[in-house]
Amino acid sequence: MRVNPNPYPDLLQILQQTQQQVNTDLQQIASGRSVNAPSDDPAAAALLVQNAGQTTETDQFLRSVSSAQGELQNADSTLNSVVTALQRAISLGVEGANGTLNSSDRSAIAVEVQGIQSQMLSLANLSYQGNYVFAGTATNTAPYVLDATSPSGVKYVGNSGVNTLTVGQNFAIKTNLPGSELFSTPGHDVFQALQDLVTGLQNGDTTAIGTAVSEINDSSNYINQQRVFYGNAENQLNSQTTFLNSERTQLAQQENTLGGADLSQVISNLVNAQTARQATLQAVGQTEPINLFNYLPK
Amino acid sequence: MSSLNASLATALSGLTAEQGALQTTTNNVANVNTPGYSRQVPVLVSSDPLVLDPLTFGTGVTLQSIESIRDPILEARIQQETQTQGQLGALVSALSQAQVGFTSTNGDIGTAISNFFDSLNQLSTSPADLSLRQGVLTSAGNLASAFNVTADNLTTQRGDIDRNVQQTVSQINQLTQQIAQLNLQISNLEGVGESAGSFIDQRTELIDQLSSLVDVNVIPTDNTLTLTTANGTALVSGSQSFQLSTQPDPTGLQRIYAQGKDITSGIVSGQLGGELQARDQQIPALQSQLDTLAAGLANSFNTAQAGGFDLNGNAGTPLFNPPPAGGTGAASSLAVAITDPALLAASSDGTVGSNGNVEAMYALRNQGIIQGQTPTVYYSGIVFNVGTASANANAEQNASSLVLQQLNDQRASISGVSLDQEAANLVQFQQAYAASAQVVSTINSMMQTVINMKTS
Repeated sequence: MRVNPNPYPDLLQILQQTQQQVNTDLQQIASGRSVNAPSDDPAAAALLVQNAGQTTETDQFLRSVSSAQGELQNADSTLNSVVTALQRAISLGVEGANGTLNSSDRSAIAVEVQGIQSQMLSLANLSYQGNYVFAGTATNTAPYVLDATSPSGVKYVGNSGVNTLTVGQNFAIKTNLPGSELFSTPGHDVFQALQDLVTGLQNGDTTAIGTAVSEINDSSNYINQQRVFYGNAENQLNSQTTFLNSERTQLAQQENTLGGADLSQVISNLVNAQTARQATLQAVGQTEPINLFNYLPK
Repeated sequence: MSSLNASLATALSGLTAEQGALQTTTNNVANVNTPGYSRQVPVLVSSDPLVLDPLTFGTGVTLQSIESIRDPILEARIQQETQTQGQLGALVSALSQAQVGFTSTNGDIGTAISNFFDSLNQLSTSPADLSLRQGVLTSAGNLASAFNVTADNLTTQRGDIDRNVQQTVSQINQLTQQIAQLNLQISNLEGVGESAGSFIDQRTELIDQLSSLVDVNVIPTDNTLTLTTANGTALVSGSQSFQLSTQPDPTGLQRIYAQGKDITSGIVSGQLGGELQARDQQIPALQSQLDTLAAGLANSFNTAQAGGFDLNGNAGTPLFNPPPAGGTGAASSLAVAITDPALLAASSDGTVGSNGNVEAMYALRNQGIIQGQTPTVYYSGIVFNVGTASANANAEQNASSLVLQQLNDQRASISGVSLDQEAANLVQFQQAYAASAQVVSTINSMMQTVINMKTS
């Protein structure tokens, strides 16, 4: 039985294969990735695309959460100032109801309450990063304007629009309360109550003053109730941040499993491939190209 | 009756025959590295005997023929496998280039899609903010660019393969011409009873080269060969070759014609088959998927824009230029139609502070808007498809080259020149020659004896 008398093409093929293996291993070490092209592992490559998409989405949600937190905290602390101002108005009112005061004393108190009215207007017209916070969705104009024809002295020109913001997959939170639900709800109208107090003080009408004080108290409580919305929202956002961070960690682990090169394994492969290559080269090099012609008598 | 002259003639026949055998060995040794060369063996037969009643005398040896040792069935299998190898080689090369556009980078489509949706969510936090709006337009522009670049690269690649097709066809034509010429030379020699050994080797080598380029059927006909493609188009018939030609079709890509007939879809193997498959099936399939994704995104966002209000309180206008009817070319022509950030329809109630419509646009990220899949999942499907096609072609090519290697080993074991063997033959023929020469010497001195018989 004859055998192939020329082994060199086969040996060259083997050398090429070992070289290919060495090249692949070097590439994985240099890039740290086991999937450098889709054909390296098509299923993993597809999953890595989805993983990357989810990762950037999670990072974006973390940014949005932080944005929403800033907005809500700002609104809430403003409402805190509102309540404080209303408490001041209440104590002024109580003082003003005292029968021992004369009309010029009451006038002085009325002026102070008017100061609180101004403060209230500017608090209700809070602007945050260029947008009016308590205007509903009509955020480009101040929601409360002075209106001499209005019994409360102001008019609400915002709307009742509410924005929600997506901060997680299938999770959106409300990000604002319109002023009409805070400051000028019928029956809990802060501006009306303050105006009533001023009127009562100016007229020296202690009954009216007393009624106004309880209106203000009422509105103040009402606003505090509404602030629960902000408290809840902040809690939800804190939980969401924790959740998103753990998502992020899981996604990173998944990404590493799918596409990260197991360096110790790859280095071990590389050493094997180089050894095999060297052995083949030595074997080919040491095979002397001798045949019978070398031995024929000269 | 025997004679010295007869013996001389017999010895002489030995010298001639051994010389011829030696020449064969020398030829083998000289051609040890010639590709496709099949070793030759001298066929030595006893010359016809002379009958002189009651004796039969042998008359020596004749070098009847010099035969090339080859296995035609093995060669046919090698040609088949060479065709497969050629086809897979062209496919592997095309697919590994095509998949570069789908490898994860900072500018790839998957990243661009994610960044675009991220910018929408950011806008949702403050919908009237002009710089956030500009951010959306910028990332939409990047998305369109990513599609344009990827689609255009595939089109360019298709054009490159098209040029390769033309080159391959002209190589095929050169080979068929050469084969036809060899057919002529071979049939001339064989027609006068001569063996055409090395011409046949050359022709086999050329047929192998042709097999790597196109599918080839070898049909022995009337003492010569006919070569056709797999679906019967004639390439070579005896000493006549039939040239293939190329003509561009309406899209500018070359179609292959033989004798006026379009045979493009009938070429299934060889490098030409692989190139045509890549150009006409694999790459267009990728382009079509990209177009579906681009058109789906454009249409969905344009519809979403129309459902909301821009910063001026007007109904939203299309964000992207409408994709072409039928969808073909949507990816390479995708472009943002809005330059003024105020025209993004973020609002759902006409006020500047509403983000209702942006929220609706963002929701598209996780909705099945592209054939029931989300945009990112659909794109990951494209990555999977191109990766699988490439990986499969690589695997098949490796398997095929192993088979080809084995077949070539077998052929070499049958037809390859072994220097050991030729050296042994050399010794053998040399000894026989020396022996015959010695016989001639002996007969010569016997003749001298006869001549010197007449003395004194």
